[in-house]
Amino acid sequence: METIIQTADLVKRYRGRAAVDHLNLSIGKGDIYGFLGPNGAGKTTTIRMLLGLIAPSGGQVEIFGKDLRKERLDILRRVGSLVESPSYYGHLSAVDNLEAIRRILGAPKRRIAEVLDIVSLTGEEKRPVKGFSLGMKQRLGIAAALLGSPELLILDEPTNGLDPSGIQEIRSLIMSLPREHGITVLVSSHLLSEIEQMAGTVGIIRQGRMIYQDTIARLRERSAGEMRLVVSEPEAALEEAFRRGYDGMLRTDELRFSGMDDARVALLVKALVERGHAIYRVEEQRQSLEELFLQVVEGEGR
Amino acid sequence: MGRILAADWLKIRGKGLWLLILVGPLGLTAMQALNFGLRFDYMKRRYAGDLWGGLLDNTALFVPMALFLGGTLVCSLMANIEHQTSAWKQLLALPVSRIAVFASKLMLCLLLLAVSCLLLSGFVTALGLLFGFGASAIPVYGILRIGFLSCAAVMPFIALQLWLSLAFRNQAMPVSIGVICAIVSPFTATLSEWLPINWPYLAWTGPHRLYFAGAGLALALLVLLPGAAHFARKDVN
Repeated sequence: METIIQTADLVKRYRGRAAVDHLNLSIGKGDIYGFLGPNGAGKTTTIRMLLGLIAPSGGQVEIFGKDLRKERLDILRRVGSLVESPSYYGHLSAVDNLEAIRRILGAPKRRIAEVLDIVSLTGEEKRPVKGFSLGMKQRLGIAAALLGSPELLILDEPTNGLDPSGIQEIRSLIMSLPREHGITVLVSSHLLSEIEQMAGTVGIIRQGRMIYQDTIARLRERSAGEMRLVVSEPEAALEEAFRRGYDGMLRTDELRFSGMDDARVALLVKALVERGHAIYRVEEQRQSLEELFLQVVEGEGR
Repeated sequence: MGRILAADWLKIRGKGLWLLILVGPLGLTAMQALNFGLRFDYMKRRYAGDLWGGLLDNTALFVPMALFLGGTLVCSLMANIEHQTSAWKQLLALPVSRIAVFASKLMLCLLLLAVSCLLLSGFVTALGLLFGFGASAIPVYGILRIGFLSCAAVMPFIALQLWLSLAFRNQAMPVSIGVICAIVSPFTATLSEWLPINWPYLAWTGPHRLYFAGAGLALALLVLLPGAAHFARKDVN
């Protein structure tokens, strides 16, 4: 897969303290990359460096295979961004806000109506933006990011401060972008639950260091939990399981098995049924991703 | 550059900048309308030989102060449009060079000041005609330079204000500097003519007025260089 963003040992120091510390970020084309970390971990600092808003203290950023320092304008022409709190000109209407950006980008005029439609702000476009709700401002920010028909979209906490329906709306919008327009998306958040439903790959950053970077499927695997069986005669059933080489245990009259793939679950259930056990429940008990996230954030990287 | 200027042009709409540009020259002219109107016979006797010249001289006394104040406010109001919602991070993440953004703000500022100077020339002419100083005697060059030459001489100050206003979110420092300059400027006239704060007035009067206007432009370039370089490099937070 083609790599869109690649950073090599990216460092940003503020007065000797490293806000971003040897960060190696790698984002593939067409992916939705969830950039996760607690508040103050260095997400926004990293994103500002990716956009050339602040200068790295060390390391390199390559976007579309080009060096950001040398070809910043060429790269930015293909990037749309929304950094932290939405930026807007409150005294101007939504259309004029977009027009101010359109004039700089040189995008066609009809693009304004298109992006307003994408973020469903059509009908509100003539009102001054200062009267907009936070969610509408956030959507206007996304519209502005989409205005130049970017190939890469960088969204920093796009759902911050939104209500659940707003979050849902923006989430489905983000998910539709790679599918419909082939856009690569980098989206940051401090909540895994927000990211896990849309991201293909996640990178977890803590105190400026990348402590986990892999696909969301892998992360799920790591959180694979125990199989829990509730049967009529637990003790006899456990003996039967032991005989067949299953490694389980009995806890509060329930059988627990760890590390079971589908085939082994099926075989065990079949064997137990054949032995005349009544099986009431077969459940997988997962460690939630959020728990895993906290564990990764707190446990590793020390 | 043109595209950024077009965008900036749109952004200053409804921010009171145009009002300021109109009110400045209008206020200066209104002061002279009072000055002459209240003691018309005395003034007419005093400047009997050169009525237009008398009007212009009286106006020019207050032009530097107006330029210091107006320049400060134009720079600050313009910068504030971007500071208010930290729009810098959106603007500078667009495919534009920082130098072009800085240059566009400078151009817009100069354009607004130029409009103001032109309005001043127009208003003063209208006032003179109203007083019946005679259309045939209009000193065209004098009327044009009343705003423009002083404006050229005030450029180092504008360059500094633009730099400070754009670079720092907190506008207290540039605005304070501007107000202090405006208040102090009438009292520094007796000091050395090497002081740039005196140049706007010196660019109106005396035999070397063109030198002072030229020196203003030259010094402005010297101030713009570090200003633009700082703006191009600074971290946008």
